[in-house]
Amino acid sequence: MSLIDLTSMAEPDEEEQEKIEETLEGLKEDIPDLCYQCGKCTSGCEAFILLELEPHSIMGKSKAGFIDELVNSDEIWTCMQCFKCQERCPQDLSPVRVIFALKNLAVAAGKEIPSGYQKMLQSVLGNGLIQQPKEVLNRANETRKREDLDLPPVPEPEDMDKVQQILMKATQEKLR
Amino acid sequence: MSGIGVFICHCGSNIAGTVDVDELTEYASDLNGVTFATNYKYMCSDPGQELIKDSVEEQDLDSVVVAACSPRMHEETFQAVVEDAGLNPYRFQMANIREQCSWVHSDDMEKATEKAKHLVEMSVEKSRLSEDLEKTEVDVNSDALVIGGGIAGIQSALDLADQGKKVYLVEREPSIGGKMAQLDKTFPTLDCSSCILTPKMTDVARNPNIELLTYSEVEEVDGSVGDFEVKVKKKATYVDWDKCTACGDCAEACRRSGNVEDEFNEGLDNRGAIYTPFPQAVPAAYTIDSEVCISLEYDGTCTSCREVCELDAIDLDDEDEIVELNVGSIIVATGYDLMDPEKIYEYGYGKSKDIITNLELERIIDASGPTDGEIHRLSDGEDVESVTFILCVGSRDEELQSYCCRIGCMGALKHVHLLRDHLDEDVDINICYTDIRSFGKGYEEFYRRTRDLDVNFVRGRPSEVNVQEEKVELNVFDTTMDKLLQVESDLVVLVPALLPSEGTEELSRQLRITRSSDGFLQEAHPKLRPMDTFTNGIFIAGCCQGPKDIPDSVSQASGAAAKASTILSKDKLQSEATIASIDDDICSGCKMCISVCPYDAIEYNEEDEVAEITDVLCMGCGSCASLCPTGAIEHKGFKDEMLEAMIDAGLTEEEG
Amino acid sequence: MKELGLYLGCVIPTEQYGYEMSIREVLPKFDIELVDLEESTCCGAPLRNVNMFTTMYLSARNMALCEKKGIDLYAPCPICHLGLTEAKESLEENPELKDKINSKLEEEDLQYEGSTELYHTLDLLHDEIGLDEIEDQVEEPLDDLTFAAHYGCNTIRPNDLDRPDDSENPQKLEELMETIGIGTEDYPEKLDCCGGQVISDHNESALTKAGEKIEAVQDQGFDGLSTICPWGHRMLDSKQDSAADTIGESLDLPVMYYIQLLGVAMGIEQSRLGLELNLSPVDNLEAIESIEEAE
Ligand SMILES: Cc1cc2nc3c(=O)[nH]c(=O)nc-3n(C[C@H](O)[C@H](O)[C@H](O)COP(=O)(O)OP(=O)(O)OC[C@H]3O[C@@H](n4cnc5c(N)ncnc54)[C@H](O)[C@@H]3O)c2cc1C
Ligand code: SF4
Ligand code: SF4
Repeated sequence: MSLIDLTSMAEPDEEEQEKIEETLEGLKEDIPDLCYQCGKCTSGCEAFILLELEPHSIMGKSKAGFIDELVNSDEIWTCMQCFKCQERCPQDLSPVRVIFALKNLAVAAGKEIPSGYQKMLQSVLGNGLIQQPKEVLNRANETRKREDLDLPPVPEPEDMDKVQQILMKATQEKLR
Repeated sequence: MSGIGVFICHCGSNIAGTVDVDELTEYASDLNGVTFATNYKYMCSDPGQELIKDSVEEQDLDSVVVAACSPRMHEETFQAVVEDAGLNPYRFQMANIREQCSWVHSDDMEKATEKAKHLVEMSVEKSRLSEDLEKTEVDVNSDALVIGGGIAGIQSALDLADQGKKVYLVEREPSIGGKMAQLDKTFPTLDCSSCILTPKMTDVARNPNIELLTYSEVEEVDGSVGDFEVKVKKKATYVDWDKCTACGDCAEACRRSGNVEDEFNEGLDNRGAIYTPFPQAVPAAYTIDSEVCISLEYDGTCTSCREVCELDAIDLDDEDEIVELNVGSIIVATGYDLMDPEKIYEYGYGKSKDIITNLELERIIDASGPTDGEIHRLSDGEDVESVTFILCVGSRDEELQSYCCRIGCMGALKHVHLLRDHLDEDVDINICYTDIRSFGKGYEEFYRRTRDLDVNFVRGRPSEVNVQEEKVELNVFDTTMDKLLQVESDLVVLVPALLPSEGTEELSRQLRITRSSDGFLQEAHPKLRPMDTFTNGIFIAGCCQGPKDIPDSVSQASGAAAKASTILSKDKLQSEATIASIDDDICSGCKMCISVCPYDAIEYNEEDEVAEITDVLCMGCGSCASLCPTGAIEHKGFKDEMLEAMIDAGLTEEEG
Repeated sequence: MKELGLYLGCVIPTEQYGYEMSIREVLPKFDIELVDLEESTCCGAPLRNVNMFTTMYLSARNMALCEKKGIDLYAPCPICHLGLTEAKESLEENPELKDKINSKLEEEDLQYEGSTELYHTLDLLHDEIGLDEIEDQVEEPLDDLTFAAHYGCNTIRPNDLDRPDDSENPQKLEELMETIGIGTEDYPEKLDCCGGQVISDHNESALTKAGEKIEAVQDQGFDGLSTICPWGHRMLDSKQDSAADTIGESLDLPVMYYIQLLGVAMGIEQSRLGLELNLSPVDNLEAIESIEEAE
């Protein structure tokens, strides 16, 4: 590689780049190399206007190898996972999957991830669901629980400890 | 005693620098059947050729082997020499000791020489079994058929007619002209399309060498180069074109007048059941569209047009007619269609009248078009304040057409010029582009001039187009400015991909020519034989081969005419001598050979239950001979015994 | 009688009780027996952000639960449905990964083959049960209403993972609404995202997205919005007030799960459909009883 980013003096990281490709492999051919930067993804990105997510530039940077910058960015955590970018990409590429792969890299590298995801992850590892059953309000501001509504108990593995152990191990695994 | 002569070429030091040519000559002279062997510096030079010729006579040779370069280089040269010397040219064999030996083994003279010996011995072994072969001859019919009457077909037909050839021009619409007739002005010179096209159309009509068959389609093609037999269906027009003067009284009287979508105007206005596609149509005559005519399609009661036609030209009893043609060569020029932009649903085509294609815009800008050249919003006739183009709609798209349409960018730049002429200067014009491709002569200059016309080039592609209450709205991210722009427009012009015209697949089957993976007709070589097909005598021109602009279509059309003419100008054609032949007694009629022949040269004889080869169609590729499970097919000049002898010679152990 | 494993995922059984109640109430009337999957967990899709392997493992585990019972799986949440579909396809393409996952499932005596069919509410109602059957059971058609449709991103995208409806021009929800008498129409914002996936870390942006969509629907004169996605419903109904505050507009658009609307049209007792839990002003609609009436 002969590129240097003069704004940050960063150099492309080919090794990290390969890791993304590895993560994506087996899902589809979503590697960003074929992107021709038409910008259709960003034109329709649900997260651009409010959160400034630019899928086309994520594709460009991934292609050039500026992975470290992306993995450390807040940007990758703003994706709404609407899949519009993938659906409409004329080159059949998938920025959203590249973003997933970048987030996986960030987690694997022990980067600080947004608290919401942290909480969700902990909850799933703890009791199998992203959150505990809530007491909700009705329109008259009265609280309602599942029992009040004649709903059966929330599903839960009989041996949650075992599932927990398996899950802990699973999070260390890669797809291939 | 007659025998084989071996001539070894040094090719300067190309061969002699690596192969010990003296040792090789000595070796060759001892080979079975060889009575003479020699070597020389350049065998292909005049003295080299003389050497061969003289030796044939002096040494009483009956076959010649030249060990030199690739047969691709000089097989024909040496065949001619041998023929000159009075031998049958197929008594010549060539051993390639340059590309296949000296060039690739320049580091090991000993082994290279050893390999050269094997190669020479293989050719000698083949030579021992060689026989005289004769080329078959066929008579050539000097007439030509051109299918498709767009600018490409018109150009081919005129060129051939100018050379005195009789040309049948078959066009499926009532008039020739093709897409170019629908254009207003043309890039990059902005000359009016019909001003340059109409004279050519009338030339076609007037040229005594051209027989125009419009409203016609090819039904069946048989035969082969020099002698094609073609059946053409002339659809019933229900109007006697010899009488009709195109006065148009009938169209006015037609009870369906204004009720039928006008194809020429891209559905932007209506015609009647009796119509002529456009005022300058050639031939200048009316046609009844039988599918919508009240009398023909419904109850037979309407007589409106017949009542007004003073020349009594209307004939509802007219019937389709089959015309049989005999031609020596065929040029296909069937052009293109636009992709239906509804395939990219998110761009909203069909949801609002204000979202149109570039071809619709051509019709709107045209002073004789459906709006008389007035540009207003199509939904409500309000003024246009903003026009936005979206390029690459379905082109360069992996789900739709992966190729570039080659005319979209330039077409849009042209439209900017025309819109600036037609609209107030404060009208916004936006072009959403990915790459502007202006590669032709004078095109980049045209692009530069367009940039000066106060147009917003937005480097990006919208994700969707939304029809709002008044305007059509789209968001587009401009990658040069890193800004998401909201654009409100009164007209959104989509620039769709170009497809092979409808029916191309069927036509390719009828003609036995191939299509490339994009569906367009395939040229025999992308660079060196761009207008040939793999089928001898059939050529292609214009957009049927792939998207292109008018200059390229016309060049290819003239090229195809010249190519066809080289065939049509001969009295007789010689076919290859090294072709396949089938032994009827052995053939079991399994038809496997028919399925592999890329040239459709093999047919099944139902009566005798055997396969039969049409000699002039066979190109000698060898596919069938190697496949035939019974061994009934022999490839002349490459018989099994020959190849077996060569293999044996090639695999003998090195001596000592 | 068709047996289906009711796979609720996370959001429905922990807070979107109205969806669950109406599902449990309505579907049996169409000869569908819902079998609870007591041992199920999160489908794994939210963990795509964290570790794809875990995602695949969890999806496979839930499908394996159904396989054990020998029944197909019904996932009313489009995000689960997408996650499960993706896992199903990936595991089919990648036998190595399947083996690896099966070796983990073994510890719980489970086995994933890939034999379960997957359903979402949309295709279950539209394609399996069918419009005719639904029409037959309508007692009080909701003729006076015009509703907009909200599909939810993952119901229709990405189309390479076999979605219940077309990615660009979905119409099944509209057809289902028309079948019970409701008028409907396309609107430009139809495919827009509700923001639900970033609510935990980008609360304000998510609520802005929801608010803008509700406002657009409201401004175009629809009587309400019909949903089939619990995430979308949470944003557009449950959080409609917060969304209104965030964008500084007053919003009062009735938002109902389609299956609730269906239940109403079938004449099912409204309290059984969890309608009291819709926080948007659904009782502005004449057909919907107010909480007092329901009691
Ligand atoms: C909007 C637009 C603007 C353009 N502007 C320009 C421009 O400014 N300058 C420029 O250089 N190029 C321009 N082009 C490109 C131009 O139209 C083409 O280069 C040109 O028309 C190609 O000519 P053709 O004869 O190959 O094909 P066509 O024009 O498509 O003609 C093919 C003819 O064959 C007939 N046909 C088809 N199938 C059969 C069949 N089976 N049997 C019998 N007949 C058949 C058709 O009816 C038609 O008449 C433009 C194109 C578009 C879409
Ligand atoms: S839409 Fe596809 S090709 Fe275009 S910029 Fe985005 S990823 Fe690249
Ligand atoms: S999936 Fe993410 S990146 Fe793609 S368009 Fe939606 S929000 Fe943007």
